[in-house]
Amino acid sequence: MNKVERRDFLRLGMGGIAAGALSAGCATMASSQERKTLSPAATPAPQPAPAAPAAMEPPRRILGRTGIKVPTVSMGVMNADNPNLVRAALDGGILLLDTAHGYQDGRNEEMLGTVLRDRKRDAFVLETKVFVSTLDRKTGLFSKDTRGEEIEEKLDISLKRLGLDHVDILYLHAQSAREGVHHESICKALEKAKRDGKARAIGVSTHKNEPEVIRAAVEAKLYDVVLTSYNFRQDHHLQVQQAIAEAAQAGLGIVAMKTQAGVFWDKEKTSPINMKAALKWALRDPNVHTAIPGFSTLEQLQTDLEVLRNPTLIEDEKRSLEAPKVVGFFCQGCDQCLEPCLQKLPIPELMRSFMYAHAYRNRQAAQSLLLELGLPEFPCDDCDTCAVRCAKGFDVRQRVRDIARLRAVPREFLI
Amino acid sequence: MKRPWAEQGALLAVLCVAATSQAGSEKESLLPKIDGWKISDGPTGYTPETLFEYIDGGADAFLQFDFEDLTAATYTRDDLRRGKNRPGHDATAPTKAEISVDIYRHKNAVRAFGMYTQERAAGTTSLPIGIEGHAGADHLQFVVGRLYVKLVQMGPKDPPLLRQFAEKLAASLPGTREAPAVLKAFPERGKRVRAEKFAARDFLGQSFLHDAVAVPYEVEGASFRLFVVEGKDSADVSTMVKRYRAIGKSDGGANSEGAATVKDPLNGGVALRWKGRWLWGAVDHPCPERQSLLDELGQRVAALER
Repeated sequence: MNKVERRDFLRLGMGGIAAGALSAGCATMASSQERKTLSPAATPAPQPAPAAPAAMEPPRRILGRTGIKVPTVSMGVMNADNPNLVRAALDGGILLLDTAHGYQDGRNEEMLGTVLRDRKRDAFVLETKVFVSTLDRKTGLFSKDTRGEEIEEKLDISLKRLGLDHVDILYLHAQSAREGVHHESICKALEKAKRDGKARAIGVSTHKNEPEVIRAAVEAKLYDVVLTSYNFRQDHHLQVQQAIAEAAQAGLGIVAMKTQAGVFWDKEKTSPINMKAALKWALRDPNVHTAIPGFSTLEQLQTDLEVLRNPTLIEDEKRSLEAPKVVGFFCQGCDQCLEPCLQKLPIPELMRSFMYAHAYRNRQAAQSLLLELGLPEFPCDDCDTCAVRCAKGFDVRQRVRDIARLRAVPREFLI
Repeated sequence: MKRPWAEQGALLAVLCVAATSQAGSEKESLLPKIDGWKISDGPTGYTPETLFEYIDGGADAFLQFDFEDLTAATYTRDDLRRGKNRPGHDATAPTKAEISVDIYRHKNAVRAFGMYTQERAAGTTSLPIGIEGHAGADHLQFVVGRLYVKLVQMGPKDPPLLRQFAEKLAASLPGTREAPAVLKAFPERGKRVRAEKFAARDFLGQSFLHDAVAVPYEVEGASFRLFVVEGKDSADVSTMVKRYRAIGKSDGGANSEGAATVKDPLNGGVALRWKGRWLWGAVDHPCPERQSLLDELGQRVAALER
């Protein structure tokens, strides 16, 4: 993109974020005074972030003991294969780019390399992750033949793809158990990468058993940064929040991922989560120094940059993060449906069968119950409209038609 | 009257897919018996909801290409005799071998091939396995039908053995061996070999551009990309054109058929052509060669309809 086009981008797309405000010099080491002022709060409870100043400068936080100062919104690059989008993100004020050795089998790092070769080294912060192939993902343990050298070999390949002589943060990828985080040869290899100048800081990434992994990283007294899943939909988000606070207290930098919480509320992807609110939720926690939402479109970039400028979670946004009211599956057996039903169907039992099939996924039980009910061949087909109004709000006709078909499925197919 | 079994097929499919994981027999059907090899671990299944447990953030790219499920297993054999029953007759090779097999099933063959192109290094040497494959010292990937298969050899590297295994596995897998037809539209002159990239959505960083393939060209020192977008129908393409033209300065004619240049804030000047359910164009470095190839691309796109 030439300079004119970049200006167009800023004018058309960014609506006022000054690219120059954040360019060279952003990734400087913070002074000890700055680090002191950011020392983690005594209480782990998230505090509303102060409203963004009216100035163009978006808020930045210091990534723990690394001293690297970054805007609160960074870029998870894994979904983007368009170098122009990364350029736009950097021009728009984003500084930290997150990738991994394994993303798109290395093509993601190569794509980033085409962008970074045109940038000054202090104009971006680059973090990548290396997965050690002998990790058992189920247990989180490394096998006996684990070689720390695999980290160095993969890091060297990553550096070549990226066209860099060092990364800013190197993560041990996808840890889920304390033992993995403390593995001796792995730890030695990470220390060596830092000693050799191939990584300014080292860290560990986790999206499973996060509290255990985060605390293990603190105990190890080796890691500088933790990259962790953290979002409002995690059942255990309070435990994650507490572990994050402890790690920040110990001086670790905290990078949050999966802040978008799956993007949709439902499996069918019909009900999108409020992305802006979800990101703001994570950034409310002052111990989260930056978040790395993934984006692959200009609109998503704009949304994230709006959060960068103003991270305050307003009331409407808070409400939008409450789970949509769902009708659910449980029939309370009030029987108010029985009288209006012209076919005199055993609706409560049918709703129970529907629950067995779809909530419990026990289709055999659902079918057994159905076969006991002596239903007509095509229940509900004789009524143009359904007179039943369920107290729980079930669409009774739709559910009856759906579940009744289960009778014809051969038993051996019901799993 | 009983409804015919065929009419129950849809329900059955729904029920099977809705299960928390595939039935064991379904998984194993993708994992054939291969002479001399046995399955030592797995099969393990992953769904769109659980894929990130297996490949972390890499899962997002697969989900964009309508990933449906993954079957993972490890094949081993320990009866290799040096120089005899192994390809390459390497007298120093070990007698044991272990290969991890990951079979990603996508919505259709175009999506599977698209995901394969996302992970393929440009210019890599292709292997005639399935639709196409490529390999490194300890890994081999290929795509067949709607299955994208990734093999990794654990322990000592033995590329001939890995390839032999891949060929046997591919022979047992269902689906087309033909690359997506849209690739035939791209002129050969100046085309970078095996560098085409598919995008299921968010093409060029625009949320409304979907089902695209872009191919890089290098002609007389100029580098640019040609692309083709396959809309659902002409209305779908009209909508894409309308939205694209709305985001930047644009010249050109009606939204139903025509040509325009969009000044895209992300990608610079983008030449667009469209007709029916096809949208094609060029991005990066305008030059006479690009124009010439774009015209040729248009003729070939028209031929796709015949």
